[in-house]
Amino acid sequence: MNKKNKMASIQLALTRVLVYAIILFLCFLCLFFFVMLIVNASRTNNQLQRGFTLIPGGHFFYNMKNAFADASIQIPSGMMNSFIVAASSALLTTYFSALTAYGLYVYDFKLKKLAYTFIIAVMMIPTQVSAVGFVQLVYKYGMNNKLWVLIVPSIAAPAVFYYMHQYLKATLPLDIVEASRIDGASEFGTFNRIVLPIMKPAMAVQMIFSFVAAWNNYFLPALLLTKAGKKTVPIMIAQLRSADYSKFDMGKVYMFILLAILPVIVVYMFLSKSIIKGVTSGSVKG
Amino acid sequence: MAEVRLQDIVKIYPQIEKDKHSKKKHNLEVTEKGVVAVQQFNMDIKDKEFIVLVGPSGCGKSTTLRMIAGLEEITEGELYIDGELMNAVAPKDRDIAMVFQSYALYPHMTVFDNMAYSLKIKHMPKEEIRKKVEEAAEILDITKYLDRKPKALSGGQRQRVAIGRAIVRNPKVLLMDEPLSNLDAKLRNQMRAELLKLQNRIQTTIVYVTHDQVEAMTLGDRIVVMKDGYIQQIGTPQEVFNHPANTFVAGFIGTPQMNFFEGELVRNGEEYSVHYKNYVVRLSESKAKRLAEKHVESQSVTFGVRPDQMHIGEEGIDAEVEVSEMMGTSSHLHAKLDGKDVIVIVPTNGEESTDITRIKLSFSGKMVHVFSKEDGRNLEI
Repeated sequence: MNKKNKMASIQLALTRVLVYAIILFLCFLCLFFFVMLIVNASRTNNQLQRGFTLIPGGHFFYNMKNAFADASIQIPSGMMNSFIVAASSALLTTYFSALTAYGLYVYDFKLKKLAYTFIIAVMMIPTQVSAVGFVQLVYKYGMNNKLWVLIVPSIAAPAVFYYMHQYLKATLPLDIVEASRIDGASEFGTFNRIVLPIMKPAMAVQMIFSFVAAWNNYFLPALLLTKAGKKTVPIMIAQLRSADYSKFDMGKVYMFILLAILPVIVVYMFLSKSIIKGVTSGSVKG
Repeated sequence: MAEVRLQDIVKIYPQIEKDKHSKKKHNLEVTEKGVVAVQQFNMDIKDKEFIVLVGPSGCGKSTTLRMIAGLEEITEGELYIDGELMNAVAPKDRDIAMVFQSYALYPHMTVFDNMAYSLKIKHMPKEEIRKKVEEAAEILDITKYLDRKPKALSGGQRQRVAIGRAIVRNPKVLLMDEPLSNLDAKLRNQMRAELLKLQNRIQTTIVYVTHDQVEAMTLGDRIVVMKDGYIQQIGTPQEVFNHPANTFVAGFIGTPQMNFFEGELVRNGEEYSVHYKNYVVRLSESKAKRLAEKHVESQSVTFGVRPDQMHIGEEGIDAEVEVSEMMGTSSHLHAKLDGKDVIVIVPTNGEESTDITRIKLSFSGKMVHVFSKEDGRNLEI
């Protein structure tokens, strides 16, 4: 009996070691590149060309000064443009997707099923396919180099809609909606005051995703934004790579990439607080 | 505070094509237009009256309530609240309040905000809102929970908040959809008594839906018994209990259920008697008078006797006891009679249970309810 117990405890310990080893490996995979980025951003071009090290150099602020001083790449305006596009898209996408999902979940109307199927079908069409016509349209009406051209179409996001719809199905009891109606709220009032707060975790998740996707979006901005003052960060990073090799400063490039991912991290930290479990618990018995 | 008038109200749920051939799971009538959930509902609810709609699940009681609330469209008929036609008025403009079975509290708001929600929508001044909410909280004894969120409350407390949310706005009509069914038995009894006190205090018209006949009997000024979309009987608890309109009402109201026997009604001038095999009971004078007024002749009938009106004695119908349930002050004997279960309540008088197996059942002519064998309606009314 004692022997059996001992064997079992050894087995348990071994399993734990294995599990932790896998977790550590995954952590390493995720974090190693961030560490390298920070380390490299603190080293000069010369140091970087000498090879790879984990010890940070002392030129962090030197690189930062260089990065901001570069006239061909305007970091503040790029960041600003990216932020406007990403934040507005994230807000509009989540709000209107939630509204659409709510409409299709709560109301009964004749073409409800068709509407749902149509939205899901749109999800299957790749961006690149619809982009051809869209880019032509934008140029034809002279709407290129305008940020709102990137923001407005992002409102229609079938994938976000689908997520919201599933979330509503799982968390929103219709009794609450009816209670709000009886309490005298209008339909929009019910959505804004009751449903949106309940959907907060889903909104936060989708806002993070939408923000990151819009922030990193290169394809459409590269086609539509050609004026220097209107460019977003991904376009600028692409420009760095095609810059003159003799003047190429790797330290500056790393610093620039570090700056480019910073807002995403900030947004994530800010919104992840809202991702809490069981917001509806306590509302209805179930 | 208002009168509610339901006039020929009908609710039909359109049937989806593919469902038409699937097997019917309910006894509701199906017409060309769809499934009829509520049939020709006619009723005048007086101001400050406590009306209870009671019936088994699927009888249309909740649908009727939801039509009064405006959550379901009325297919046919007219609904008046305080003399105004309400058919096309949105729920928010009907000035009604509703308590849901599931409580339906707003999870992200505190108890105070839950209760203040409807007042805030009306743009009531803040001071007044505070006063009203505190008043309602006082009545329901939830003042100390005003800052909590619903998830930090127990079931009973949540139900109080739901009631508080409804009464805080002094609605014309207060609707309650099985508000006590989610509570445990003890709490339910306690809340039932409190609802009665509340009704006395707030003096408003209440329409209450339940499947529990005990709740219906204790709470209602009048009870509406429903089955398969039809109203079976409307009356005070005493009327419904003492003069059930048909076998369904007789069986549904009262626990344990009324015992039914297939026998003969024999008329002899102004006198009536019921015959079951060799056992004969003469009906009381008042019963005989009512039957004579209706010109009821001798016929085969179904007659019913409540379990507490059955006696065990030296003479009567032979029966065999199968099980005996000890309930404390009394025992429920389940006896077999011609393959049917007959329940008899006998007082225990503090004695240990006795092992009787063969008994003779009798009952008095005052306590027999006589129903038509064809359609089950009470022959007295």
